[in-house]
Amino acid sequence: MATIDCFDKTVRDVNTKLRDFVSGGKNDIHIINPESLHNLAVAITKAANITIDGSVGYYCAGMIDGPTIRINGSAGWGLAESMLSGTVRVNGSAGNGAAAAIRDGTVIIEADAAARLGVSMKGGLVLVGGNCGYMAGFMGQKGTLIVCGDVGAGFADSMYETVCFVGGEIAELGTDAIIEKPTEDEYSYLSRTLTLHLPTKMEAPGFAIDRFKKVISGRKLWNFDNQDWETWREAM
Amino acid sequence: MCGIACYLTKINGDRAPVGNKVLHMLNALSLRGPDSAGVALYGPRSKHLLLQVKLVDTLGEAESNNLQELADHITNVVGKTADIAEVSRTAEYLRLKVSFGGDPKTLERHIESADKEVEVLSMGYSLEITKQVGSPVNLDSTYHLDDFCGSHGIGHTRLSTESSIDLSHSQPFWSHGNPDLAIAHNGHITNYRNLRCKYEQNGFHFYTQNDSEIIGVYIGEKLSMGMTLAEAMHASLRDFDGSFSYLAATEDSVGFAKDPFGFKPLLMTETDGFVAIATEELAIRAAFKGNYNVHEAPAGEVQAWQL
Repeated sequence: MATIDCFDKTVRDVNTKLRDFVSGGKNDIHIINPESLHNLAVAITKAANITIDGSVGYYCAGMIDGPTIRINGSAGWGLAESMLSGTVRVNGSAGNGAAAAIRDGTVIIEADAAARLGVSMKGGLVLVGGNCGYMAGFMGQKGTLIVCGDVGAGFADSMYETVCFVGGEIAELGTDAIIEKPTEDEYSYLSRTLTLHLPTKMEAPGFAIDRFKKVISGRKLWNFDNQDWETWREAM
Repeated sequence: MCGIACYLTKINGDRAPVGNKVLHMLNALSLRGPDSAGVALYGPRSKHLLLQVKLVDTLGEAESNNLQELADHITNVVGKTADIAEVSRTAEYLRLKVSFGGDPKTLERHIESADKEVEVLSMGYSLEITKQVGSPVNLDSTYHLDDFCGSHGIGHTRLSTESSIDLSHSQPFWSHGNPDLAIAHNGHITNYRNLRCKYEQNGFHFYTQNDSEIIGVYIGEKLSMGMTLAEAMHASLRDFDGSFSYLAATEDSVGFAKDPFGFKPLLMTETDGFVAIATEELAIRAAFKGNYNVHEAPAGEVQAWQL
């Protein structure tokens, strides 16, 4: 196991060392004393297991392609932004814009996510154990967004083909978002996914998979139609 | 891209290391803006009114002697209507402790009539605001705030985007005319001109061209109408447009408000012993060791603590 101590190091030093370890074939890397530094572990484009022992600041694990990054703490704004593939797991909460514009891969936030979770996601899986804030899923193009708890206002606004599942209450749906009952296949997908990534959630008292609602695009904003003028005006 | 920070003790009464904690957080936030830095610290309640008076906007060496004359003149003016318990001067600040039974606004007017650059930067029974142009790292070396003990405090480090960089435009802002009320703001209040116009028509005097000043004026007005700090801050979410995370503090309460879109970051932690709030988590981690959870305050959230 290789270890990088952030104490008294600049972010550039830490990331350079991390990149050296990854390209040198080290597979198990621990980053200690991160003290919420920004931009940690960005643009790592090879497979590796990276554990960050503590909270991280803004833009952690952005633009990664392949690694598995575990954060034993919470994360600031822009977690895993624009990632291509890999897994990012935070056992605390995440700030605004987590998993924004990801193309693929998996982002797991065990506690809560703040506003603008998974906006403009183009693929992949975003899974939140707790609640999420305002405007999650905005303009989501593909991929799956699962929130076990409650979601804030403006949920799934102006989406394309992202599929969302919500276990708790929806404060308010965004423009052109509609609720559907999940199919049996989708319930079984949810069970498998939660068992795999958040098994303690499944075992929590009162947890019921059939509480999940599915939220998808109503497709009214996909093509302009004069009759939908009110919907457009609201969206603008 | 300013940085704001807040600390409040839940267990140490008015003997917590407020100066040390707020300065630590501000130093960690200094990269967000080195234009000016300041703290509003709340110590044990004094029976005297504490005043921090700015003598000039920028301190030049040649002005030093004249400043003492100006300070003496102001002290004489104040002495005519109030009993002065203590006077001291550090750099461009005159600090006075007085017994005064009248309207604080009258006292403020008397002091500010001494010279056009003279401004009362803070007034209160436990509040003391100290701020300066430049990075927070210089704040302690000039004013020795590290050993300041009290119950709570807020701080600000500024990246100027609109108005001038001088002492008057530095934050935290004291809400003129309202003893012990201070605010620190990160963001832009975009309907500031309209709000300011409305207040000016009602006789309010504004000291700066900074949009953040409206927050103190607004909260001060709401408090004087009988609202609690939390109620006033909730009301502000309806009346302010733009992007903002701001902190407001009185002698016995402190809180934050975040705009309904969540445009500006604000991270917070609350333990059994303390509450810490900052623009970046690294500021909280720099000031407080140990295990605790930090989370982003939700968009449109107001939370206030009563001491």
